[in-house]
Order: sequence, then structure tokens, then C-alpha cells
Amino acid sequence: MTLRRVLVANRGEIALRIIRACRERGIESVAVYSDADVGAAHVTAADASVRIGPAPPRDSYLSIPAILEAARGSGADAVHPGYGFLSENAAFARACEAAGFIFIGPPADVIERMGSKIAARALMIAAGVPVVPGRTPEDQTDAGIAAAANEVGYPVLVKASAGGGGKGMRTVRGASDAPALIAAARREAVAAFGDGTLYVERLIERPRHVEIQIFCDAFGHVVHLFERECSVQRRHQKVIEESPSPALTADLRARMGDAAVAAARAAGYRNAGTVEFLLHGDGESAPFYFLEMNTRLQVEHPVTEAVTGVDLVQAQLTVAAGGALPWRQNELRQRGHAIELRIYAEDPGAGFLPQAGPLLLYREPRGPGVRVDSGVREGDRIPIEYDPLLAKLTVLAETRPQAIDRASAALRDFPVLGIRTNIPFLLRILAHPAFQAGHVDTGFIDAHLSTLLGGAEVPQEAVAVAAAAAGDAGAERGPGGLSRSPSPWTALSGWGR
Amino acid sequence: MLILRAGDRDYKATVHTDGTVSIDDGSPIPLRATGAGLVRVGSGSGQQAWVAASGSTRWVFLNGEVFELDAQDARRRRPAATAHAALVAPMPATVVRVDVAPGATVRKGDTLLILEAMKMELPIRAPADGVVRAVLCRARDLVKPGVPLVEME
Repeated sequence: MTLRRVLVANRGEIALRIIRACRERGIESVAVYSDADVGAAHVTAADASVRIGPAPPRDSYLSIPAILEAARGSGADAVHPGYGFLSENAAFARACEAAGFIFIGPPADVIERMGSKIAARALMIAAGVPVVPGRTPEDQTDAGIAAAANEVGYPVLVKASAGGGGKGMRTVRGASDAPALIAAARREAVAAFGDGTLYVERLIERPRHVEIQIFCDAFGHVVHLFERECSVQRRHQKVIEESPSPALTADLRARMGDAAVAAARAAGYRNAGTVEFLLHGDGESAPFYFLEMNTRLQVEHPVTEAVTGVDLVQAQLTVAAGGALPWRQNELRQRGHAIELRIYAEDPGAGFLPQAGPLLLYREPRGPGVRVDSGVREGDRIPIEYDPLLAKLTVLAETRPQAIDRASAALRDFPVLGIRTNIPFLLRILAHPAFQAGHVDTGFIDAHLSTLLGGAEVPQEAVAVAAAAAGDAGAERGPGGLSRSPSPWTALSGWGR
Repeated sequence: MLILRAGDRDYKATVHTDGTVSIDDGSPIPLRATGAGLVRVGSGSGQQAWVAASGSTRWVFLNGEVFELDAQDARRRRPAATAHAALVAPMPATVVRVDVAPGATVRKGDTLLILEAMKMELPIRAPADGVVRAVLCRARDLVKPGVPLVEME
């Protein structure tokens, strides 16, 4: 079977990533967009595009009828869901298959099983994969959740059973905090996933988050593509990912890889997936626990592509079209060290508050070993309705210290002006002695927050640049703030390209 | 002369006719524009900086740090803040819930209301002990940045 036209049911950088992969092999791409994304980068890049509704996600990127209608109308034969939105929605995968479209991902029943934390845990326990103590109470009232928290033992995590990406998740340290936090988790779960079912789990204090990329085809081939260390997180969302993990020995890596392959086999998996583990402590015998399985392409897949040299999206298209996996386990190697930094439109100094507004100036870095996946351009307006991820910067170098140096240099060459981003914050993480020593766990950002936020000191050079660009205080003028009135600035050589 | 404000700190800038700029009467800093929004700052080859403007705000990117300065003509200074503090929306958002009514006595850190933006809940908390004078929004309102939500005294 051959794919001829793929509808990309997503937006931003991941939509562009998939559109480019399609183009490389002569597959036509169809973009979808909401009213907030008219003229967005992913829309102009695709061979065709279809409006699917108003800006709110539930009326557009989360609307199964609107996306299926777009697929039918555009003559697509397959649908790629990207990550987020409908990517882990079994009903969507099932509806695609029922309508005659190939869903580029695992079968709907696998998404369903792994999306239910109860079913996934039961499956992992049966397959001999270690799991964290926890439960989803049958009594789903707030009181029922609080009772389950008591039984599991504080501290606990209360999570959206349907969820992922940290949405609808709260840490509860004692019974007195429980009512307010359970209610908040429930509201976020309903808003993000349309399902308020909650799950309670023992909190493993300051674990590392280490995940294994797996890939399966329809012929029973299952491989893992090593680990990604994703411990640097804020509000339970990943900020920096790297491979190899500074914590794994060769033996521990092999055991976690075997566990991930066992998990994938038990799930009856197909296509690209990720098995997330919590790793507790250091050393050869550090215990690891199955956290969840992400039944889709991950945001951080470029890290794996960098160290293994494979193209995961191409392999997704191959396997979805009924082809065999392009690689065997013994052909896969980890080479060098890769680090991905997520560039978010957010204000770390204000509790990582998402930012919306115009990108007055936006210039991506380039150079050997530097990859930028982005969905925005200078002059774009960042809408409020969606995830604040602007771009992913992924670097590859021979060693971890060299990768940190390369990432730092690239960030200093990545100016984004007009809205606040986490670029200065990322640079301070890279410079932090604990990060450089590889001593990271999921509490890293909270533990070092005051150091990472930096000071308010403005160097004279920055003030001088601002003053020269100021001229008179006028309207929005974008890069340079060049004004038409005569000023010393306009007389400077080389200006005004 | 220009006043550039960053946080609560004012910098006095003098732009000289030769293109150099002095800050707070310090020694002149050479600047050379090299492209759209791109500037070389300092003597010798200097450092690379990027700059953009929006209204009176000047954004500068220098060595991986971002600075937001408000440019003001020295003759037209802003009035000082008043005693009545209005809590404003920090960004475009939806009001999820309002927890206080006019006349309510609140303690510093109490949640006054909850906003939602980009699928995240953002509690708006009392910046100090006080009394709520007015509630200017309702649940499900869409609010723009800078719009007052609650007035306190």
C-alpha cells in the first residue's frame, strides 16, 4: 500500500516536521488550521490546507468531525496526529480507520489500553515491568479521590486518567490540601481532555525521568532506540531533554531497554512510541518504575534522531504504509551527545506564565550540529489558545560538555523579541554546576529557581542599544525600531536592510 | 536626553552626534548597526545585540539575555502609582472563577480569582492584606492584558 496524501491534524512545529517528511518522499500534505492560524507557517508549507473551525481547540484541533470532514474533502488517504491534541485519542484513531483513513500511529485499541492508566498498569504488572504503587478509585467523587490518596500514602500525585503533558496533575502532600487540589486537577482534566476521571499515585520524591523510544512494525519486529533523559521539567512539563542520560550505565541502559521492549510487546504495539520510566537514585542498581506509555511521536524525538541517525517520522510513514521497520536492534547505536531545549513563550519570573503577542524579531541560530524545529516566523502573532512552545533547539556534539557549549552558543545566537521567552532561563540551566555535573532530577528547577531566574541588572551596553533605537517613542516598528524622523541612529552605516 | 526605565530603575541616556551613547554620564559606548535589528556594541569588534521596538518599549537581546526598557522623554515623566491597586490580567485569558466579592477582607496570598490561559490555571492572589473595593470581571469573561480585574485598598 502506498500513501499519496497525508492530512496533518496538528499545528506549529510538529505539523511542519511532518509536512517536510511527506515532501521528501513525494507524499502530498494537507494542513488544517483554526481561525487563529490563518496564514501560519504550517499552513503555507503544506500542499493544501483546510479551515477546521474557530480558535478554541475544542472547536478546531480537537474536533474529530471537523478533522474527518477535512480529510474527506481533501482526498487524504492517511492522517498523522502529531503530538498533543487528538494524538492519543482512541476514538479519533478508530474514527479515522472507520472512515477508511490510515491512522499514522498505533491501533486504536492499543491507544485505549495504554491511555487508561489502570489497564496499562495491569498489563505492565503482567509483563513483569515494575510499576509505582497507585490506584484509580471506582468512587470518583472528590471524597473518593481523597480516600484513595490516604490509602496510597502521602505524598501523592493526582492526575487526569486520560491525560499527559502535566495537564490536570497536582502534588498533594497532606489531607488538608486535598480538597482544593483535587478540584483543580479535575477542572484542568475536563478542560484539556474532556474527561475528569482522576488517578492517584505515590509520589516518588525527586526521581529522574528517563524514557525509552520504541518502534514496532506489523511483522512482530520491536526495537528500542535508547533513552532520553527528561528530568529538567517545570510544572511537570519537560524543558530540556538529552541522550544519553548522564545517569545510566551500560547495564542499566540494557535492562531499561529490555523492559521497554517487553512493555511494547505486551501492549501489541505498532509504530513509534515511548515508554516513560521514573528512575530513583543513582548507580547500577537504582530502581526504575513504568510511568506511562506515550502512544505517539514525542516532542523530543529529535534527540533520538540526533544520536542514532535515524528519521523517526519517515519510519512512521513506512510502517503506517505496511512496510517493515528499516532497522534491526543490532544495527542501532547511540553516537555522540544530543541536547534539546524547548523554547517556550513564557515568563519564568512570573511562574512560567504563558505569553502571547507579536514576534517583533525572531532569528534562528545555525551551524554544524544545530537543528531548529519551529512553527513560527518573525512578524507572527503568538495566539493565546495553544501550547506556548515556539521552537525546539537540538544540538549534537561528540561529548556532553561539548553539547552544552554548543547549545549555549546557539541560544546566545537565538534572539526572540516582542514576547518573553525562556531563552535566558535555559542558558542559566546550562551554566548551572549541578546540570553540568549531570545531577538532575525532576525537582531541579524548583530547587534552583532563585539562581536560575537571574538578576535585574541591565548592562550599560543594553541600555545604549535601547537608547539608540529609541529616537522618539512611537508606534510599533518591529526590528530595530527604526523611525523615519532624522536621528543619529539613521545615520549609522549599514542600517535599514 | 532619554530616560530608559527597567523595573524601578531609571537610566539616563545621551545619544551623541557621532553615534555613541553615554549612560548616566559614563564614557561613550560605540554602536554600529549591521542589519535589520542587528547592532554591534562596544569598541573593537564589540558584542552583537538585537533590538526591536513596540510603542515606548525597547527590547534588547544581548549575550542571551533579554532586556525590556521603557523609553521616556525626560520632559514627560509618568505619574507615580496611586494607593488604590488594581490587579490586572497579566495576559489574554478566560476567568474560570471569582472567589471574592466587594467588601471582602483578604490576606496577602489569598486567591482572589482563577484565570485560564493556554489550558493552564493561573490563580490571581492578593498582593497584600486589604479590602476588595470592586470586582470588575465575572466567570467566563475573556480578559485582555492590562484589564483591571479586582480593585483593592
